Amino acid sequence: MPDSLVQFEGVTRRFGDLVAVDNASLDIRAGEVLAILGENGAGKSTLMKMLYGLYPASAGEILIHDAPDKINGPADAMRAGIGMVFQHFSLLPALSVRDNLLLSWPRTPFWKSRRNTDTADVLATLAELAPHIDPDCPVGSLSVGEQQLVELCKVLNIDARLVILDEPTSVLTPDEAERLHGFIKQLAGRGVAVALITHKLADVEACADRIVVMRRGRVVDIAERGARSITETVALMMGQSVERKLQRPPVLEKIVPRLVLENLSARRPEMALQNVSLSIAAGEIVGVAGVAGNGQALLAEVVAGVEPLTGGDVLLDGVSIARHNPYDAVATPLGYIPEQPRDNGVVGTMTLARNLALRELAQGNRPPVTGRDLLFRFNVNPPDPMKTAGTLSGGNIQKLVSARELGGQRQAVLACYPTMGLDLAAIEMVYAAMFAQAAAGAAVLWISEDLDDLLAGCHRIAVMREGQLVALLDNSSTLTREVVGAHMIGLTETEAAA
Amino acid sequence: MSTRLLSASAPFILTVLVFLALAIALFIGLGQPPLQTLAALVQFAVGDSYSLSQTLAKTGPILLCALAAAVPGRLGLISVGAEGQLHAGAIAGTAIVLLAPTWPAPVLLPLMLLCAAAGGALYGYVPGLLRARLDVNETIVTLLMNYVSVLLVAALVFGPWRDPASQGWPATMQFPPAAVLPALPGSRIHLGLLLGVIAALALHVYFNHSRWADKVRILAGNRKVGETFGLSFGFWVIVLMSVGGALAGLAGISEVSAIQGRLQQSISLGYGLTGFLVSWLSRHQPLIILPVSLCVGGLVAGSDALQMFAKVPAASAVILQGLLFAAALAVPGLLARWRNAS
Ligand SMILES: Nc1ncnc2c1ncn2[C@@H]1O[C@H](COP(=O)(O)OP(=O)(O)OP(=O)(O)O)[C@@H](O)[C@H]1O
Ligand SMILES: [Mg+2]
Repeated sequence: MPDSLVQFEGVTRRFGDLVAVDNASLDIRAGEVLAILGENGAGKSTLMKMLYGLYPASAGEILIHDAPDKINGPADAMRAGIGMVFQHFSLLPALSVRDNLLLSWPRTPFWKSRRNTDTADVLATLAELAPHIDPDCPVGSLSVGEQQLVELCKVLNIDARLVILDEPTSVLTPDEAERLHGFIKQLAGRGVAVALITHKLADVEACADRIVVMRRGRVVDIAERGARSITETVALMMGQSVERKLQRPPVLEKIVPRLVLENLSARRPEMALQNVSLSIAAGEIVGVAGVAGNGQALLAEVVAGVEPLTGGDVLLDGVSIARHNPYDAVATPLGYIPEQPRDNGVVGTMTLARNLALRELAQGNRPPVTGRDLLFRFNVNPPDPMKTAGTLSGGNIQKLVSARELGGQRQAVLACYPTMGLDLAAIEMVYAAMFAQAAAGAAVLWISEDLDDLLAGCHRIAVMREGQLVALLDNSSTLTREVVGAHMIGLTETEAAA
Repeated sequence: MSTRLLSASAPFILTVLVFLALAIALFIGLGQPPLQTLAALVQFAVGDSYSLSQTLAKTGPILLCALAAAVPGRLGLISVGAEGQLHAGAIAGTAIVLLAPTWPAPVLLPLMLLCAAAGGALYGYVPGLLRARLDVNETIVTLLMNYVSVLLVAALVFGPWRDPASQGWPATMQFPPAAVLPALPGSRIHLGLLLGVIAALALHVYFNHSRWADKVRILAGNRKVGETFGLSFGFWVIVLMSVGGALAGLAGISEVSAIQGRLQQSISLGYGLTGFLVSWLSRHQPLIILPVSLCVGGLVAGSDALQMFAKVPAASAVILQGLLFAAALAVPGLLARWRNAS
């Protein structure tokens, strides 16, 4: 039997009455990639956070090979050679990539200042994993996917024996994900254990050696690679089988422009939108594809009226909904699912009920009483309106925001990565709600990095590169991933065909 | 139920015990009989009607200054400007009295209070505007502006506003009776305290039960989300900074009119900073600020008297305050940590 590096023995973690992890027993071995699957709220993050010393276990023990002392916090964990990349990042946005890496590098001598150029060691992993990231640009200006890679470098830099990755690929482009898979395998080859929490079966297929399935806090299955079919695994996760059925949206009978972007321009440090024009008809679904960090985030915030624009306008049924003056906030009439909803979509200190009613509360009106229904409809777990939003798992926050934004009929919907961190059942549910909005006449603008989903669900696909819309493609049956992908990276169609 | 009450009040009880222990250690260090000195402190704070009136006289400005920090604090702003706003209010309120000293009380008093509130509000408005429009840190601006208005008071009472009849003493003329805030007869308990209590109650209702309560809460919890739903962060920064300033301004004119009777230097015993600490200890909750202000007012009054009648140095009043705040800040945190660990 291979060396076991970490052993969980009957570990339980309670939050008040809620049992997040229930009597889990499991070992992690040196040199293996252990995939941890499970639906939203299954307790995956909590289990790993206990190992990393963020929460003490309520019962049971976590034994770490060769580490004499108990782990009482992340500092201990790092000393024991355990590193973790969180679902929710812990980078300092104002500092440069280099500084962020230096800050958490154990060998950084205190006199090494930011001006010191002798930091090649720190940047070695970065150069290997993400050569396109400029170490001197501030982390805040990177896309989510790029931030994730920086976070990963941070952990790899501590020479970890065990690396925990919490849904690392949910924000990566297919290319980035592939590079990450290669890197994970390489790590395992060097004898490092990798615990990989994921919702993507592609990750599992690409690199997992063993697969752990959790459901409602329990470890329900541990299997070697290849021992279970995909359907079996999914059934174990869900306790039932889910099939994917994204239907092509019906062809529009008549085109009535509803959400219109007219020559949008906006600026933010490191990113500018230039003359983005797009007209979305009632009932139409337009996808926005692009490599992360090409202005999608800024586009979304300008359309939602969060970020002021410098030129052009956003019209909903002919009425401007953009923020023209940086000193006046405008309430967006769109159903708006922002990216990273924990930061941009909820007030973590308020209850679920109040988070569902933010629109009304911000207008000074009484909240409606539909809270509990919505929570059940969107499968938010736990469906307790009095719970504080900040305590929800990542996926459940995403569902909470979907419930608020898609729960009632909207004239238009703007969804940014609306399924990030969701399990399969939840993805279907969110897509169903989004498509129902379109079927009822809403104009839908859908930003995503999942080309397959965009191809399956959109009428048209717009491609963004460097802050501009470089292509607007009719999603006919001849449109392929390769064509869209070529536009994303700037190849012309003839080059792509060659 | 009762165990829950017990565990909720445990930090409070422990804080008091730790503070007493620290105070006793201080007195021993000063060579005073600890228990007797402590008893004298309590005696001087609440022992008789005179002490009580002294305590309440100190409670008033502390309460108002605490509210001045709490109002912007509800939005997550850190304003340390109560001291400056207090002086600005004192200047503005005094100005109207010097301009129209002969007006009758029913006109002069409200006008004086109004001017003081406006002066304080203006002094909160400026850092508020800078924060809202240019994103200049409000803590730094309020801190620096404190020096300006405190020194402006000095400049005025040494210069243009000095009463020629005062034979060189830097102060304005004595306020006419029509400009003196009414007080309970034979005591120093004046209208300023009542204003503070009313303001605390009103703010409690406003921040917890009004239709605006959630707007502030949303913006404080997540500015971006608030702006997505049409709440202007800048607007609320300006409003709350100004309202906070107005409250501190009232504290300023109350001290001038009811306690000193004239504008002069040292109208404040560091009320601005004390109020700031009270507000943060009370987590900006007006209903908690009320009793905490009273306790701190008692401590200030008691230790003030102590240094006069017992042989303890003048600085011990400030040291005692410091010990109280240190205990109150450290104990609940340590307690939570022990509980988590066990
Ligand atoms: N700090 C906390 N306080 C209270 N409850 C919590 C806390 N952290 C997690 N929980 C609860 O514990 C359960 C498990 O959460 P966890 O974050 O481990 O889920 P997960 O499997 O990582 O889900 P996801 O795929 O959505 O990220 C959830 O029901 C969550 O609401
Ligand atoms: Mg998670």
